[in-house]
Parts: sequence; C-alpha cells; structure tokens
Amino acid sequence: MAASSKSAVVLKAVKKIAVQFCPFESNVRSTREFLLFVGSEKARSTNMNCEVITTVKHDKSEPVVDVTFVDGERLLMKGAKLTTREMLSAFQSRCTAKDPQAKAGVKK
Amino acid sequence: MFVLSPLDFLHKLRVQLCRPAAAEAGWLPVTQSVRHGSKAVTRHRKPIHILKQKLLAVTKYVPPTPVVPKGAYPSERQEVKEESGFVLLLKRELKKLFQDYKMVAVAQNCNSNAEDMRILKHRLHRHGIAVKFFPNQVMCSFLSDSVYSNMAPLFIGPTVLFVSKEPKVKEMLTSLRSSPQMTLLGACIDNTLLSAQGVVSYSKLPSVSVVQGELVSGLAMMTAHTASMLQRHPAHLSALLQQYVKQQSSEEAPKAEEAT
Repeated sequence: MAASSKSAVVLKAVKKIAVQFCPFESNVRSTREFLLFVGSEKARSTNMNCEVITTVKHDKSEPVVDVTFVDGERLLMKGAKLTTREMLSAFQSRCTAKDPQAKAGVKK
Repeated sequence: MFVLSPLDFLHKLRVQLCRPAAAEAGWLPVTQSVRHGSKAVTRHRKPIHILKQKLLAVTKYVPPTPVVPKGAYPSERQEVKEESGFVLLLKRELKKLFQDYKMVAVAQNCNSNAEDMRILKHRLHRHGIAVKFFPNQVMCSFLSDSVYSNMAPLFIGPTVLFVSKEPKVKEMLTSLRSSPQMTLLGACIDNTLLSAQGVVSYSKLPSVSVVQGELVSGLAMMTAHTASMLQRHPAHLSALLQQYVKQQSSEEAPKAEEAT
C-alpha cells in the first residue's frame, strides 16, 4: 500500500498512542502499517512528548490502537477488519479537528 | 581589365537586388528579410500538421472491449515466474543462515536512522549477534517451502533479522530495550518458534547445566530416600509396611461401601 497521506501526520494534540497486536495472526497488516506511519520520524518530530508504545502479544487477540488525546478524549480502533487508509483518515481527521483550533487561536 | 572573382560578383548582385531605388535616396533598410524553409529535426516537439493529425485520429487503434472486466475472474493459466539469480542466491544464503545460526530473531523497526542502526549493530556485534536484512517476498517464498512456514506471517513491513550462533537472548533484549523503535516480534531458537513473551521467558530460564543438575537431584532423591529406608532397622521397615497395608485396606473398604 503506497503512502496514502499527502499531509504528514500531525501529532500535536496526541498524548499517547498504544498499539497492541499479535504478529502471528493474519489480520494485523493494517495495524502494523498504521504503526509505521505514526512512528515515523516525520510524525514524531511534530510532537516529541507523544509516546508510541507497542505491545506484542500472542493470545489471538484482535489488534487494537488506543489513542489518548491531550484533552482526555480516547480513540479506540480495532484494526482487525479496517484498512490502513481508513484508520489513518479517522485518526488524522480527529487530529486536525483538535489542532487548528489551537492554531487559529494563535493566528488570531 | 580586372577579373571579378565570383564572390565579388555575387556580393554586388545581392547588394544590387537588395538595394533598389532607395539606395540612391540615401537610407539603408534596417531589417532584411531572409527566407528559409523550416527544419524537420527540432529541439522542441514540432506541432503535427493538421492533415497528419486528422489521419492519425482516424486510423487510431481501438482495442476490442473485453466481455468480462479484467479482474472479475482469475486467469486460467497460472504464470510461473522464473526466479532471478539474485533471488536464488538470497535463498541459498537463507538456507545456510537457518542451518548455521541457532537463534534467528525477527524485529520490526519503525524508523531508525543510520546512526541508531550503527550503534545497535555495534552493541550486538560485541555479543556475536549479526544483523541481517532480506526482502520480505524472498523470505516468505523461502519459508513457505521450508520447515519454518509458521514464521511467514511475521514478515510484514520493514523487518530486521538478528542471528547468532549461540542463543544469547538476554544481551539481545537489553540492546533492543535501549532502541525504542525496534519491536521484537518472534524468534526461532533451536528450531523452536517462540513469540515475544516466549523469548522473554526463555531468557529467564537457568542454563542447561543447572537444569540438568536439578533433574538429576530430583530423580536421585527418590532412590536415596528408598535406600535410606532400607538401611534402617528391619523392625522399623516391617512396621512401616504393616501400616501401609492397613491404610490400603481402609481405603478399599470405604470404596467398596460406596460401590454397594
């Protein structure tokens, strides 16, 4: 899957991202690719305080991405039946929804 | 009489042709139009003549539309691609790798700079662990043919292989803990596939000699106990045996009562 995000992932409004998956399952591809996008240098450079925690399990559980935002909101994505694009778009839309509020406030 | 050279003659002729009566008036024309034909070979894309354009449009190839769209049904013939020499070389290397190295660990690296990789490689090299990279496709095709087919789903995305002849798991784990972007997915140690947690518990195991000693002592304890019992006074032994027979009979009696 080619890079589907033209705009880089902005993590300014994100406090913590916890990714857990079981690598021996077959439905893990989208979660792993999401982890790659979120853990890349570009994404991490937007917010150095954001922690990306990866847990590798072996209990046939579903892959789950748990995002905690700065204002306390939590986004839980169960990546078993989701594609990387869907996960990224949902995540980015929420990030940008929270972010330009701060940016617009600063500009004004 | 002087002979005019042909060049002078032509020059004078040109001058005479280009300068009509105006020359006598005393002014020279600023621009001199020179006619020349257009070139066939140009540096830019020459616009096609309209007639040629029309001809090309009329005679353009229109492929026949397939009755069934392309991706609807799988192809009847299975294309068997011959593997290139490089792929065969890689497979041979992989085979040697699995034969020589006892420990093969797989990790995923989200993003590591060359600097981080260099430091990690140095740390692991001190303990005799090598870092190998192989393309995922080659890896998967090799694994599906070999015994280690259950490792195939691990290889998605950028993966790194840590191989070593001696299973030095503790050192590997400590070096990986220092680099946050590497995630250990699994390992194949002594032809046994382990998950990440399995690797951690493997590292906590005592060494082989210690385990062997424990086993031997456990087995020897039973026989030593029996030997010490036999060495005691025979009266003591007979008393013990009688007690044992009584216990057996008392256990059998309630069982028989329960049955009836």
